[in-house]
Amino acid sequence: MNNDKLIDLVNISKSYGKNLILDDLNLYVRENEFITLLGPSGCGKTTTLRLIGGFESPDTGKIIFDGKDITELPPNKRQLNTVFQKYALFTHMTIAENIAFGLKIKKKSKSYIDDKIKYALKLVNLDGYENRMADSLSGGQQQRIAIARAIVNEPKVLLLDEPLGALDLKLRQDMQYELIRLKEELGITFIYVTHDQEEALTMSDTIVVMNQGYIQQIGTPEDIYNEPENAFVADFIGDSNIIPATMIEDKVVEILGTKFKCVDEGFGKNKPVDAVIRPEDVILVEPDKGIIKGKVTSLIFKGVHYEMEVMANGYEWLVQSTKLVPVGTEVGIDVDPFNIQIMHKPESEDEEAVALDE
Amino acid sequence: MKNVAKKIYLVLIMLFLYLPIGVLIFASFNDSKILGKWNGFTLKWYTQLFENEAILNSLRTTIFLATLSAIIATVLGTLACLTMNRMRKVPKSIIMSITNIPMLNAEIVTGLAFMLLFVGVGMSLSLSTVLIAHVTFCIPYVVLSVMPKVQQIDNNMYEAALDLGASKAYAFVKITMPDIMPGILSGFLLSFTMSLDDFIITHFTRGSGFDTLSTKIYTEVRKGIKPEMYALSTLLFVTVFVLLLLVNKKPAKVTERSKHAKIKKYIAAIASIAILVVGIGFGVTGGAGNYTQEVYVYNWGEYLDPEVITMFEKETGIKVHYEEFETNEEMYTIVATGARNYDVVCPSDYMIQKMIENDLLEEVDFDNISTSDNIGQQYYDRAKGFDPENKYCVPYCWGTVGIMYNKTMVDEPVTSWDILWNEKYKDSILMQNSVRDAYCVALSKLGYSINTLNENELEEATQLLIDQKPLVQAYVVDQVRDKMIKNAAALGVIYSGEAIYMQRENDDLEYVVPDEGSNVWIDGWVILKESENKEAAEKWIEFLCRPEIALMNFDYITYSTPNDAARALIEDEEIRNSIIAFPDNTILERCEVYNYLGSEGDDLYDSYWTRVGAADSE
Ligand SMILES: Nc1ncnc2c1ncn2[C@@H]1O[C@H](COP(=O)(O)OP(=O)(O)OP(=O)(O)O)[C@@H](O)[C@H]1O
Ligand SMILES: [Mg+2]
Repeated sequence: MNNDKLIDLVNISKSYGKNLILDDLNLYVRENEFITLLGPSGCGKTTTLRLIGGFESPDTGKIIFDGKDITELPPNKRQLNTVFQKYALFTHMTIAENIAFGLKIKKKSKSYIDDKIKYALKLVNLDGYENRMADSLSGGQQQRIAIARAIVNEPKVLLLDEPLGALDLKLRQDMQYELIRLKEELGITFIYVTHDQEEALTMSDTIVVMNQGYIQQIGTPEDIYNEPENAFVADFIGDSNIIPATMIEDKVVEILGTKFKCVDEGFGKNKPVDAVIRPEDVILVEPDKGIIKGKVTSLIFKGVHYEMEVMANGYEWLVQSTKLVPVGTEVGIDVDPFNIQIMHKPESEDEEAVALDE
Repeated sequence: MKNVAKKIYLVLIMLFLYLPIGVLIFASFNDSKILGKWNGFTLKWYTQLFENEAILNSLRTTIFLATLSAIIATVLGTLACLTMNRMRKVPKSIIMSITNIPMLNAEIVTGLAFMLLFVGVGMSLSLSTVLIAHVTFCIPYVVLSVMPKVQQIDNNMYEAALDLGASKAYAFVKITMPDIMPGILSGFLLSFTMSLDDFIITHFTRGSGFDTLSTKIYTEVRKGIKPEMYALSTLLFVTVFVLLLLVNKKPAKVTERSKHAKIKKYIAAIASIAILVVGIGFGVTGGAGNYTQEVYVYNWGEYLDPEVITMFEKETGIKVHYEEFETNEEMYTIVATGARNYDVVCPSDYMIQKMIENDLLEEVDFDNISTSDNIGQQYYDRAKGFDPENKYCVPYCWGTVGIMYNKTMVDEPVTSWDILWNEKYKDSILMQNSVRDAYCVALSKLGYSINTLNENELEEATQLLIDQKPLVQAYVVDQVRDKMIKNAAALGVIYSGEAIYMQRENDDLEYVVPDEGSNVWIDGWVILKESENKEAAEKWIEFLCRPEIALMNFDYITYSTPNDAARALIEDEEIRNSIIAFPDNTILERCEVYNYLGSEGDDLYDSYWTRVGAADSE
């Protein structure tokens, strides 16, 4: 991965009417990076993509592409292609005509176009669909054609807005794999939008977690998962035990009245914080061998593991384990110090979704 | 049970809707001219139709007009939709209703309004005024069919096209257009159909020398039975029917498109372009031609052998725009308002006097009309009654007003107008639907002058006409001829010229000029002051005064000709000496020429005539 910034969004704000959608957003994308915008519905992911694609212009701020200001450049002059959330296939054209659309504008030869169509259809697993009309395809098929239509143009940057949303799990995993392979092969930079955190964790080089128009955290999948910077990120990236706690001193935190060892430093003394512990990091032991004692209150089978709730010190702990512990069993709870993540406590409600300085 | 009732109901409705058209179609294939009689299947009306240059001309005009106005209306209407779609909701719905109102407006109001507008701004009525009117009334139909499509435009698709590198224009043409194309197409077809079958608005806005199929059918049918017109109407109906089927056809949903289908699409596109080009080409060649001069002629219906026009055009290289009127009053309105520009017109005596008094006429330079001497001096003398110095008018036809009766239905001798008041012939009497002719009958019966301005006399005549009303089958103009030929009436008031033709068609008919006297009339050619083609107009009159041409016209229209040289050429001695065609002086001495009564006199007659019209007929 190259370290040069390919796309740079600088101080972008955007509102629709009175609704502020994006507020002073800063984000850059490096060449050949797979960057994912992750966040709940309505947080501004599509809006961000549309700004990059040129379909909206920002109220303030500018967009730099390859060192040039493209804020005012119309979409057809930008060296990128989009896979739209709503597919946007040309309904009155055949699949082949859809895929050829961009290539014809670039005046490619007929044989080149024919080859590309074949190649792209094979890639998305829809060989032989050349002459079908676009609106006769299923949602999932249309989504894959949308990908094929964008990819054949070999853009520098590909914007994908939830491109796999309509696919079943199996097909989605196949397509995830194909997209990554494609990216490596063609050296395209991907800006990817999803609200599926697993997909984001699997595919991305970088994840941008957004909420209500603000960036909550930018980092590698590991960073985001293991060291969420605030309760929103922690909560959004998988289920978590987020427990109000007090940082007694460096490496010692008091959770629910009991002192736990941890690895975090620099929070000061006797400071209120949040402690984040992933359910799979909670270890159930004999009642006397744990740090605190509790009792199993519920049990669900989740396929690869069991999910249990344990009532201990007045808090319902979420626990995942491959070992079954029946409801009613007295247990002890143990946590490895490495697996306790300490976060600053937001000082007010509003601050829960604020722009964090990088 | 219920189902059977439903079916019967449906069949009845269908019959009700399509029976009239069915009769028309049936008649167009009937070998007999008479409606009720089936003489066997024939296509001759159709073949005659396509041999008639005037009809083919109006066909070209119609296609040209419909194509052009549909194209213009479609472009303007579509642009309007796209613009409206950008607007906010409230103004949009207001504008939508505004554009829809003209569709519901009575056509006669729209037509009249257009005529007033065009005449008001000094545009003379012509092809372009009709075109403007058609475009205007077609636009709402385009908006109506395009708007729903425009509202459904998928902006995502448009953006996707931009994303793939398309310019805005390219994306619009390739992506947005095909989306709204079905709407545009049906808008186009609707406009085409509306323009094709419009009569009223065209009638009001058309200029001289301009006929579409519908106005042509109207003028032709007014003149009498014309099975060719049934054929033409049938063709028009079928065309409109097919077009509307096309408009309403929902395209089948295509799931797969083969190469073949693509080729078909191209063929369809090429075919429609070809049709457009041909349509426009038609119109253009129909409009122009290689004539050096032109002349606009306004004449009575069926008052000239069409062959004469062709001969004139061939000999002189002057293009003739030939138009017909039905009454002097209709002609006067058109000419006096300047709604249409004519050069040479053929009014009757009293109307010529009125036009002279209103300074509408140009003096005729008889030096340029070498053939004017073929007209007998006695006719010029009679014409002095309305053209005292023989400066304006060259007599063309003349005749008397009298009674035509059917010998099989009337067994007593007909010598007096009184017979038209005889209860025996209730519902078998046809009167002329024009003021002067109606009063001519009543005033003559009373022994008064047919030019009287004496209110007591007029009052008496009016009462007489009101008394007669319950006996009268119909007040008509040209239809007296056809009805009497078909034995549909026993007695009719008619011009002597029609009598010869009618006797040819029906042996049982006989013509008399009643003993109380009647009207002798002269129609003559005059040149309008406004004329821009005076030289051509003079050539036209010169041509018509040639003996052999006057003879052709006499043979064709059978009205008495004042052309002595032509009369001498008539081969059939019986006709040459017919007292109907050329009544002797004892009859003529009983008859009076109509004089122009001044506008006050006209108003006086009109007000009495209105009273007759308003009177209860029972
Ligand atoms: N054209 C528009 N006019 C007004 N509001 C808009 C418009 N487009 C988006 N919004 C609003 O902006 C906010 C962000 O929308 P956006 O489409 O960016 O969300 P998103 O993160 O893509 O959500 P999702 O995951 O559901 O696609 C939403 O509240 C939406 O209602
Ligand atoms: Mg979205």
